[in-house]
Parts: sequence; C-alpha cells; structure tokens
Amino acid sequence: MSVKYIPVQWNNNKWKYNAVMLASVFAYLWIFIFVTPDLMSNEGRINGQVHNARAFGSCAFLMLSVILCIGPLARLDNRFLPLLYNRRHFGVMTAFVAITHAGYIINWYFAFSPSSKYEALLFSNTSYGQLSGFPFEVFGIFALFCLVILAATSHDFWMKFLTPRIWKRIHYLIYAAYISVVAHVGLGILQDQQNHTFTVIFILASIVVATLHVMAALHEKKHGDPLVAASGDWVKVCETTDMQEGYAKIAQLTAKERVAIFLHEGKLSAISNACAHQNGPLGEGKIIRCLVTCPWHGFQYDVTNGSSPAPFTEKVPTYNLKVEGNTILVDRHANEPGTYVEPVPLNIKGAAA
Amino acid sequence: MDQAQAIFFAFQIWCSIGAFIALFFLTIGIDRIDEDAQGAYVFRLLLIPAILLIWPLVLWRWFILETKRDAWPNRHSPPRHAHFWVAIALAFFIPVIILVSLSVRQTWPVDFEPQKLSLLEERKS
Repeated sequence: MSVKYIPVQWNNNKWKYNAVMLASVFAYLWIFIFVTPDLMSNEGRINGQVHNARAFGSCAFLMLSVILCIGPLARLDNRFLPLLYNRRHFGVMTAFVAITHAGYIINWYFAFSPSSKYEALLFSNTSYGQLSGFPFEVFGIFALFCLVILAATSHDFWMKFLTPRIWKRIHYLIYAAYISVVAHVGLGILQDQQNHTFTVIFILASIVVATLHVMAALHEKKHGDPLVAASGDWVKVCETTDMQEGYAKIAQLTAKERVAIFLHEGKLSAISNACAHQNGPLGEGKIIRCLVTCPWHGFQYDVTNGSSPAPFTEKVPTYNLKVEGNTILVDRHANEPGTYVEPVPLNIKGAAA
Repeated sequence: MDQAQAIFFAFQIWCSIGAFIALFFLTIGIDRIDEDAQGAYVFRLLLIPAILLIWPLVLWRWFILETKRDAWPNRHSPPRHAHFWVAIALAFFIPVIILVSLSVRQTWPVDFEPQKLSLLEERKS
C-alpha cells in the first residue's frame, strides 16, 4: 500500500512466494544443465555457453507459461487467487532469466563479429522472405523488450502515475510477448531439435495457456457480472434476497464500470468494484470490521466512504443507493472517491444471514 | 549492416533522451505530481529503466498531472473486456505458429549416409 514509496515491499507471504520461485528456477536449471544435459542438445555436440543459453531460454518460456496460466485459473477458480498475489515478482524474475538467456546468446553467437555484437544480432540473418530459416531472433528481441518494459513498470508508482487502466493496457504486452516467444521457439530451436522431450513440453505448455484463456473468456461470458438496464439515473441491480451478510453483489453499469453492493451489519453500501491499486475486483472480497479486502493484493477500503484506513491514502468512488420493495437500486453517477454515503438499512426478510 | 547500425543508433538516441527526461522527472517532477514520492528517494532508481524506454508516455502523464487534467473516473474503469480478444488471439496464433513451425522443419534424408569431407590439406597431399 502507499504512504511513502519504498523500492520493494516485502512481507512474509512474499518472502515465501519468492523463495519457492527461486528454488524452482534453480532446480530447473540444475536438472537441465547437470541431470538431463541431452534434453535440448542436437545430435552434434554443443558447448557449455550454448547449453546454458538453452537452459535459461527454456526456463524463461516455462515461467512465462506459468505466469499466463495464473490469471485465467484465478478467474475460473478462486482457490488460485493466492498465486496472483505476487505475480509481479514472478514476472520480474522471468525478465531476468530471459535477459540471462539473451546474454549467453549474444556473447557467444555474435561476440566474434568485427562489428558491434548488437548490430551483428540484427544483420546476421535477414531472410525475412522465407519461413524456413526465418530470422527467429527478431521474435526473441521483441519479447525481451516487452518483458523488460513490464518488469521496469512493475513498481506501484507506475500504476498510480499511469492510472491502472493505462498500466493494464501496457501490461497486455505480455500476450504479444508470449505469442512472439512461441514463434521464437517454434522457428528457432524446434527446427533443430532431435530429442523431442522439450518439443512435447513446448507444445503442451503453449496449448494449455491458450486453452485456459479461452475457458476463462467463455466463463466470463456465461457467469460474468450482469449488465444492468440503462434507463434513468437509478438502475436496478439486484433483489434484496440476493444479498449475503459480509459479501457483495457486483453489477456492470457500463462496459467498463462495475459497482459492488455490500451488506454489512444489516446495512447496504455501494463502492466501485475496481480497486485503486490494480483495479482488482473488490466485490469478490469479504468485509471484516467494515473493511473490504481486495482479493488480488490485500488493499482495504471502508465500504461506507471508499477510503483506505489511515495512514493509507487510496480511495475508490462510492454510489448512492436505495431500496424499493425488494429491489436494490443504485444511482449510476458515482460519487467522487472517498465520499461518505450513509448505509441503507436492509429491513427486508429473506436476505441471507 | 547499415540498417542494423541505424536501428542501434536510433535506440541509443531514444534512451539518451529518456535519460535526460529521467534526470528532470526524478529530481523535480515526481515530487510535484505524487505526494507519496516526497521524501522517498531510493525507489527512484528503480524507475530509470522504464523512463528510458517509455519516456513519451512519461512526458504525457506528467503534463496531464501537472495541469490537473486527470479525470478520476478513468482510474476505476479497467479494460476487462479485452480478455476476450486476448483469448481469441492466443487460440488463433499459437496453434498456427506451432503447425507452421513443425511443417517447415527439415529432417535428414533417412537413406542418405553422411560422408566425411576431406580436408584441403589431405586432398593436396
């Protein structure tokens, strides 16, 4: 959370998350380099530099695949949400593994050119007119740039400075990077692969990533937050019997705007569903002591005024609401972030306790 | 090679402009537009790589925040609908790339015995 920026925010859960990540990366590299050295070797012998490059390259690909599985898995099943919690550290570590891969490649294949090794990387193969022998390096360069941009903009400052919407749009580069990495591997090492263990791993991982995204998109279409009818200022969002103490009902006011209506101690309050941090779904969090906790990164807000508890400064918009009969209505015009709205008592029988 | 040199040179120029902007933004601008940055200095070093790469965006946001043109509703409207198009793109491109990659793979002819070529010196002698 905010107050004063520090380089990296740590807590016990992040230490554990990172320790598991780091141990997994070292275990993978150790197995790849020392236990199964033939996994990605060609029939011909390769030297240590190239072998290390392939170890780090395949590790980066698998890390990227795992990262891309976390989002759709969390949308399909809440039990995967803890994996989402520290995904940014995972991404930054992936960028460093990918940079190490690029370093091994550049310092071996292009280091002995009379010109700069970075220029040699660009002009050594320019057969862009053919698929076989296509300069697959260009896909790797593009993906690496994307990963570096994502890692470099991962600090919380960037989310606040750019706004979560722009930040998210930039971070959609991860998908272009992944497609590019698939092309980099497919038109690169896959063309020369004799041991097909990695070929199978590569195809399976990329197909799993694509399939999970399709499943999550279909799930969102089928079970997503309902779009309320747009007529007048007050819009019907749900019935009183839909409410459950301590939890929220989410409704979509426009294509981008969602409201979360909470029932807390028998009273209704409405705030924006988008957390001020990364626009996580606040309505999927539970209220504890009048504070709802964002399920993505643990930011908390008072549901009556949309403000984080002191000394934190995050605020989300609030909404006026009223109850007519068994129907809960929300004023579609949001109040400025941090505006207090008197909770509306829910005196209707039938609301789940 | 000339094109490679030009691309690399353009990249260096791009990053140099970014470094110049980073100098002013991290020493003057950031304190004016973000209260949470006031009195916090170490984290600013972590911002340098991003400013080198996306400095036009930094300049634009700096201008928006300095001139108080930032509209708060924009901070609470995530582009969630884009997930659908991402799924379509992944489902299309990944299988196509894999199929193309496997189809252009070249294998050694099974009925061809490899032969060791003689060295030039051996042939001369």
